[in-house]
Amino acid sequence: MKIRTVLYLLLFISGIIVAQQNKNQSSKIEIKEAWIRVAAQGANTALFFEVVNNSDKPDTLLAAESELAEVVEVHETFKRENDMMGMRKVNFVVIPPRSTVKFKPRDLHVMLIKLKSDLKVGEKSEATLVFKNAGKLKAGAVVRDMQMMMNK
Amino acid sequence: MHKVLINCLLIFWLLTGCGNDFPVIEDLGSSNYQLTNQIEKEVQFPDFVKGKTVIAGYIFTNCPDICPLTTNNMRLIQERLKKENVKNVQFVSISFDPENDTPEVLKKFAEVRNLDLSNWTFLTGDKPVVDKLMKHVGVVAVPGDSTVFPSGKVTYYYIHTDRIQLIDGEGRIRKNYPGSSINVDEIIEDIKSL
Ligand SMILES: [Cu+2]
Repeated sequence: MKIRTVLYLLLFISGIIVAQQNKNQSSKIEIKEAWIRVAAQGANTALFFEVVNNSDKPDTLLAAESELAEVVEVHETFKRENDMMGMRKVNFVVIPPRSTVKFKPRDLHVMLIKLKSDLKVGEKSEATLVFKNAGKLKAGAVVRDMQMMMNK
Repeated sequence: MHKVLINCLLIFWLLTGCGNDFPVIEDLGSSNYQLTNQIEKEVQFPDFVKGKTVIAGYIFTNCPDICPLTTNNMRLIQERLKKENVKNVQFVSISFDPENDTPEVLKKFAEVRNLDLSNWTFLTGDKPVVDKLMKHVGVVAVPGDSTVFPSGKVTYYYIHTDRIQLIDGEGRIRKNYPGSSINVDEIIEDIKSL
């Protein structure tokens, strides 16, 4: 009888610990400053944000999801010689431990391809970012025509 | 005495705009390209903007990053000129992807951004004409990465010259800038001293 009580107690405590760990796990990756560039229905646009990794382990952004567009992909803008610029799909982005990776204009972005409706300045939406360890994280994003000066 | 002379020369040199020399990069003045604006009106470029200083940007609207930055930078330049009461400047955004960028698409691109089109025109045209113009102005656009839609349709993203140009009243290109990262102060000064 006594042993059984102790076992239950242990089970209960370990449950709390696991729950606590899960909670920490999800707050180890933070999404900040999310915004979407203004664009018209049928066009393409980009979602920008900062990923903060507060943990001692790297994590990897694998994909992104959004209701706004027909296709959603992780992309990067690149520079070529003679002022040429291009853009390509990337399959994953590693977020090193204790660091911040900025998805910003002329750099990494989540590409929203073929928008289902107009996105006007001031409108708000939500996107989901899929990480290898942290899982799916939601980010609220506001529509803007340019990046705020302070996070340039 | 020598020092005074040198100083005088230096001041003269600065006043006459030593660093502000705008060599003619390309002369479009004797050519004409028949293009269509965002309200489906045919225009002859650069004829229809002759006599005005022209700020030209080169874009394709499927572009999510560089071309919207270029467009937004043109908006910032337009706002600055308005504030500083600089007149006789015309803005022109020309698409190098006429197959996708119909007048209607360009109109929507401008409208959703709330752009002031009182002195800003968006242009597209027949592909051979556009291709010829791009060659003339030195803008290169080659298809790069693509997206395949569930329907099977494919959209190509251009690798392209990131460009805003300063064109004088006679249709001569006088300076090139990186469109997406242009220094607004620099071009404002250039417009004033051209
Ligand atoms: Cu992209």
